[in-house]
Amino acid sequence: MTMNGETEENLKDLFEKLLNSEQAVEDIEKGERILRESAAPEPDDELIADIKAEITASLLHKKENAFVYKAAAIAAGFIILAIISVKLFETKIVQPPKPASNLIMPKAVWESERLADDGADSAALVDEVKQIESDLLAMQFGENGSNGYETVTEMETELTEINSDFWKG
Amino acid sequence: MAKNDDLARIISGCKSGNAESFSELVDIYSSRLYGYFYRLTGNRESSDDLLSELFVKLVGKIRSFKGGSFEGWLFKIASNIFYDYLRDKQQQKKLFDAQKNLFEPEEVTYAKESDDERIDELQTQLGKLDTDTRELIMLRFYSQASFKEIAAMRSEPIGTTLSKLHRGLKKLQKLMEQK
Repeated sequence: MTMNGETEENLKDLFEKLLNSEQAVEDIEKGERILRESAAPEPDDELIADIKAEITASLLHKKENAFVYKAAAIAAGFIILAIISVKLFETKIVQPPKPASNLIMPKAVWESERLADDGADSAALVDEVKQIESDLLAMQFGENGSNGYETVTEMETELTEINSDFWKG
Repeated sequence: MAKNDDLARIISGCKSGNAESFSELVDIYSSRLYGYFYRLTGNRESSDDLLSELFVKLVGKIRSFKGGSFEGWLFKIASNIFYDYLRDKQQQKKLFDAQKNLFEPEEVTYAKESDDERIDELQTQLGKLDTDTRELIMLRFYSQASFKEIAAMRSEPIGTTLSKLHRGLKKLQKLMEQK
């Protein structure tokens, strides 16, 4: 074994430049010689075999860990994808259109049980319905001198037409 | 010594997790690394442990090698492992001394680490140098890294590295002559 090996440096130049001493180069060379002459023991073959076996086991363990991490990452990816899909699906569900009546009447009035309390317009509407109701009864019993049954049927047909026209807008 | 192309191929194989490439790396460097550890610890058992620890650590660390001198990089890890070992040993010694003072007031003779081994003269004289100088001499000798690389590894100016090495080797030479 040489001290310099393939990264050989010009010791003389280096020492002269940095330490300004030729003697230093000689001291270093003598020291190197001592180290070369007394070689350290070599590692046992058994130790080398053990180290190689340990490395193989360590590599195997690393590969197993890498597989587990990869599988976990893929599973996590799928879960995230599923969550995103569900969220997207939920936001895409179209809410049913509100009845057109909502546009004509305020929501509170539409949903109220006590129409008469919901304002003047609603009270007038209730009165009108009552009036139609009593007119219908009168016609049904022929109080206004007409054929009650026919008149009621005609009225109903007319109301149905009005109703369908109303919803068509 | 592996040629640069061979070494590059082996390192690339190691980075891919190839056991055969690691095996080649062990064959190339185990002797030098073992010598480095042995000269620093003076003990075969500790050197065995440190060499094993180094190569197992290398499996996890090889991907962090980004080029440059592989020997420099490898011996830097070896140096860190040695200093960790030294710290553990010092802590154990402190604990041991504390225990000894508490429970065993009488002087007890303990067997030295290397009693069962043939200690060569160089090892004895190396033991008389301070740890830092001994580590520097061994790092230079076994890693075969340039002074510039060694200075970088030790985070000190190249002039400091050179003068420390010079003083250390001169002292070692004197110690060997006095034996």
